[in-house]
Amino acid sequence: MTLLAALFSHYRRHPLQLLALATMIVLATMLWTGVHHLTSQARASLDQSESAVAERQQVTRADGEPVSVRDFVALRRAGLCVMPWLEVASPGAGRIVGVDPLAAACFDRSAKDNEPWRGELDGAPFVDISEAAGLAIGQKGQKDSQGVLSLLLSGPDSGSALPSGYRIAPFTVGPDTGELGESFLLNLDALGMLVLLISALLLRSVYLLGLAQRRDSFALLHRFGVPGRQINRLLLLEIMVLALVCIVPGVWLGRWLATGLGSGFGRALEGLFDTPLYAGQDGGWLVPVATMLAVVLVACLADVLRPLARRLSVAGRGQSLLPALVLLAGIALSVWASALAWLFVAVAMVFVAAGILAPFLIARLADWRAGGEEDPLSRWRHRELSVLARRLALPLVALQFAMAMVLAVQALVTTFESTFDQWLVQRLEADYYIEVPEGADASLAVDWLSGQQELAAGLWHRVIRGQATLMNSVGESGPVVDVFALGPIGPLVTGWQLFESVGAPWQSLAEGQGLMVNEQLARRQGVTVGDTLSLKLGHKAIDFPVLAVYPDYGRPAGEILIPASALPTDFETGFQSLSISPGTLSMETVTSGLKQIWDVEQLTVRDNRAIESLASAIFDQTFLLTRAMTVLTLILAAIALLLMGWVFFSTRAWYFRLLVVWGLPRRQAATQLTRLSLSLTSAIALLALPLGVWLTWILVHRINPLAFGWSLPMAVYPRFWLELGVLSVLVGLSIAVLMRRQLNSPASAPESASALSGGER
Amino acid sequence: MKRLFWLVLLPVLAGCPEQQEPAGFAGLAGVADPEAEVPFLQPGPGDRLSFPADFGPHPQHRIEWWYLTANLETAEGDPLGLQWTQFRQAIKPRLADAVPPDSGGWPLEAAWMAHAAVSFNGQHYFAEKLARGDVGHAGANAEPPAVWLDDWQLSELSGNGTWRLQVSADNWSYDLSLQINGEPVAHGDQGFSAKSASGEGSMYFSLVDIQIEGTVTLGDRTLAVSGKGWFDREWSSQFLKTGQQGWDWFALHLESGDKLMAFQLREEGGAFRSGTWIPARGEPVALTPGQLRMTPISGPDSYPRQWQLEVPDYGVSLKVSAPAGDYRNTGLYPYWESPVAVSGSHSGVGYMELTGYGN
Repeated sequence: MTLLAALFSHYRRHPLQLLALATMIVLATMLWTGVHHLTSQARASLDQSESAVAERQQVTRADGEPVSVRDFVALRRAGLCVMPWLEVASPGAGRIVGVDPLAAACFDRSAKDNEPWRGELDGAPFVDISEAAGLAIGQKGQKDSQGVLSLLLSGPDSGSALPSGYRIAPFTVGPDTGELGESFLLNLDALGMLVLLISALLLRSVYLLGLAQRRDSFALLHRFGVPGRQINRLLLLEIMVLALVCIVPGVWLGRWLATGLGSGFGRALEGLFDTPLYAGQDGGWLVPVATMLAVVLVACLADVLRPLARRLSVAGRGQSLLPALVLLAGIALSVWASALAWLFVAVAMVFVAAGILAPFLIARLADWRAGGEEDPLSRWRHRELSVLARRLALPLVALQFAMAMVLAVQALVTTFESTFDQWLVQRLEADYYIEVPEGADASLAVDWLSGQQELAAGLWHRVIRGQATLMNSVGESGPVVDVFALGPIGPLVTGWQLFESVGAPWQSLAEGQGLMVNEQLARRQGVTVGDTLSLKLGHKAIDFPVLAVYPDYGRPAGEILIPASALPTDFETGFQSLSISPGTLSMETVTSGLKQIWDVEQLTVRDNRAIESLASAIFDQTFLLTRAMTVLTLILAAIALLLMGWVFFSTRAWYFRLLVVWGLPRRQAATQLTRLSLSLTSAIALLALPLGVWLTWILVHRINPLAFGWSLPMAVYPRFWLELGVLSVLVGLSIAVLMRRQLNSPASAPESASALSGGER
Repeated sequence: MKRLFWLVLLPVLAGCPEQQEPAGFAGLAGVADPEAEVPFLQPGPGDRLSFPADFGPHPQHRIEWWYLTANLETAEGDPLGLQWTQFRQAIKPRLADAVPPDSGGWPLEAAWMAHAAVSFNGQHYFAEKLARGDVGHAGANAEPPAVWLDDWQLSELSGNGTWRLQVSADNWSYDLSLQINGEPVAHGDQGFSAKSASGEGSMYFSLVDIQIEGTVTLGDRTLAVSGKGWFDREWSSQFLKTGQQGWDWFALHLESGDKLMAFQLREEGGAFRSGTWIPARGEPVALTPGQLRMTPISGPDSYPRQWQLEVPDYGVSLKVSAPAGDYRNTGLYPYWESPVAVSGSHSGVGYMELTGYGN
């Protein structure tokens, strides 16, 4: 007990340090738990929703008529396991899917957990089919958006054979936006890892400072016969107890944070993917507690990190060549790597090297400036800056990483947002989207629409979807690509942004002089404008010059855009639709006209404006969350630096007071301290800038294309740099203000140099 | 008395304003609301059976079922037990002569559940199906008698009293013809079967003389089977008194030609017993609680496989035993449903149903 009391008396003498360490553990745990909770829940829910809608099959009528309750009954009585799926566009609640959980009971029980319609139907977006039917009936006569009934088949082994008069067709729900979700989650993962790294650095810096101050106590205990190993064991016990005491409330706070943010986040993802993505169920405690415990132990105690820590603190002593080489190698690897794993290795290399080099560079620069200074005060200030850069290496590096991360995430999010907005506007240029019913002749609709005087020319087009086979130079079949055929080519598409193109690309396309390819296809096949692609659209291969490359976010498939007139007659049409901006013509006129010429009772019509506003709102909300998380990280790093700066400056207060003793007016001494702390924080902000820009580039230009096949445009936001600069100045000023108070307090005896982990003066 | 369960589909039917909280085992102690515009009807003493209408559904009653158990033998003489049941649970009561809601609105006024099981050589095969009512893939008719849910169906083969029962599960199925002999036996007070001393009960009748022939397919093995069956019809709006935990029910074919139906509803500190003695010749006799003794030989915590049944007034003292094996029907509500062998004062076969013992 005496030994324990002696060892821990340090914190009785320095309660603030204990508080700082505890606060750091709590905050770091809270932040990481929050990010981790959100990410893992979102990922689980995304998987769940994808499995709910992926690879399903439906039963349709062979005569092309929509299926009805009678068909459902006939199929069930024949022993087939089918479930009704009634989709209704509700003006208030968005897209609602009515399902029959009783009918779903025959679906594969093993998939139970992955089927969101099982369990309580809480209207998000699954409701009981009677409720959806009620909504659909209520909308009749208003516009053509009453329910669309599908009959989902449970699986390949779904019971009896299909009765005659029916056929099996693929069933998909909504646009394929899973890639965007994955991309977003990948960013969140990266954010989580960086938060963990930053937390570890901050913890280590606070802990090492305390450890340095306790060296005399350890030496004394050693002299009294306590073996070093026993002291280490007690230190391990101490940090484990402290970690556990702090991690538990940290995890609780993190979950509270995630729940608070999660409700908005859940709504965002849910709206985007049409199925509940954010499950919101309780995550376990084990993972966050174990992870944070490991981080605390590794950060504070692990001997394996000692060389790195020593390097961080002694880099100024001339060992900069290796980190510089690592930095160059990392940058080179980031340019040339062709696999995601290598890119992550490159990121790790650059961060480690930058972390070692940043304090070193500041110190060297300060030393160099000091050498050239005539004014002794300036020389003192630069020398002192050099000492501080080395002594505060860990929190400085943490702040640098945090700033770089915030810069990168902010740029990524802003870019993502504007790009996606732009792309959405392009893809949803027409006001309405109408599916051509199975078996209906789309050319009848084309003739009818062409004949409508009130429908402005070019404000509608027919879309034909299908597939084509890419042929190589020797006429062998290559990969299959998606076909996106349009006709007529008009203002609904000619405003699309293109990455590269020939002159007057849309006119050339309309005249059938070639095709356009999406970015994914261009990247994968190394296709550029001017190349010729040989494609088998029907039975015969046809050569098309490439007129342009267009962006296509959200899915990995290669796609070609061609005029509908260029499709051969034997092209196998997979799916057809019409995009229409009715202008002065009412949509009711259009739909009733189409119903009449196709002789059908109902049409699937989607209101693109509603989809666009929903998607925009969703992304606003989603990005708000990302920003909130990054800003929290930054605040944590800034608080850590402030805390560290204050503690460290305090340990040197005696020396600072000497300035006054030597005759410098107190006011001037305070000014010197302000300049000193401002130099330190500004320098680190400056060094964070290139790292942040590089990280942005890696995310948008390297990781995204490798992971998803498409890239985002690279953009930088100097205004945000300025904001970060202001933040670093504020941290510097805050440290200076605290130091002034120290200067004004009565002088105390200097602590021994050794107590401050190195006797630099 | 028979089996029920209801039907707690209830979590998945959340959001239905008429939904009642389940009470008692499987919600069978739910109370009818007499204030409702169209209230659920609760059977009582004085209510009478009506044929053939009572073979069909009773939309103003909350719960009802059609229930067949059969003690069959294969061509080799091996015993084979078989069960088929279809339940209807009303969520909203409806007058018997009211027009059903439009199927296009996927109404949710009633839910149906069907159970089928085969017990053979110590193995128990069980399947369950669910459906909503008024859509068409589940329902029942009085005339001609028909009960169906998906491709499981009981239907009349011709007008000569022969029915056909077809069930097809994942890897097993059966296809049986049922020759109905004799008149329906009304239980209790001319069809009103009390389930507690305070008056809860149901309308209940049985067809107790059914000759069955057909095939049972288990995997790739098809067995020709024949034997005797017992068919129950029962409906009510509140079966159980609050506090009743479950029941033990027996339907026995004795070699003397006599038959016995007996059940007890277990409650704190005792049980409410009732039954019907159906002599080979003569009129069925309703047994009062005092005339019937039912004692589990094993138990009481798990399903008791052996029972002592006594009706001293008729010289009946039976030991009823389930064969070795696990005969739980593991559907929404697990319960025990097994064929039994009868020994003692009489020998014979029959069926036993045990509920409310946990899993």
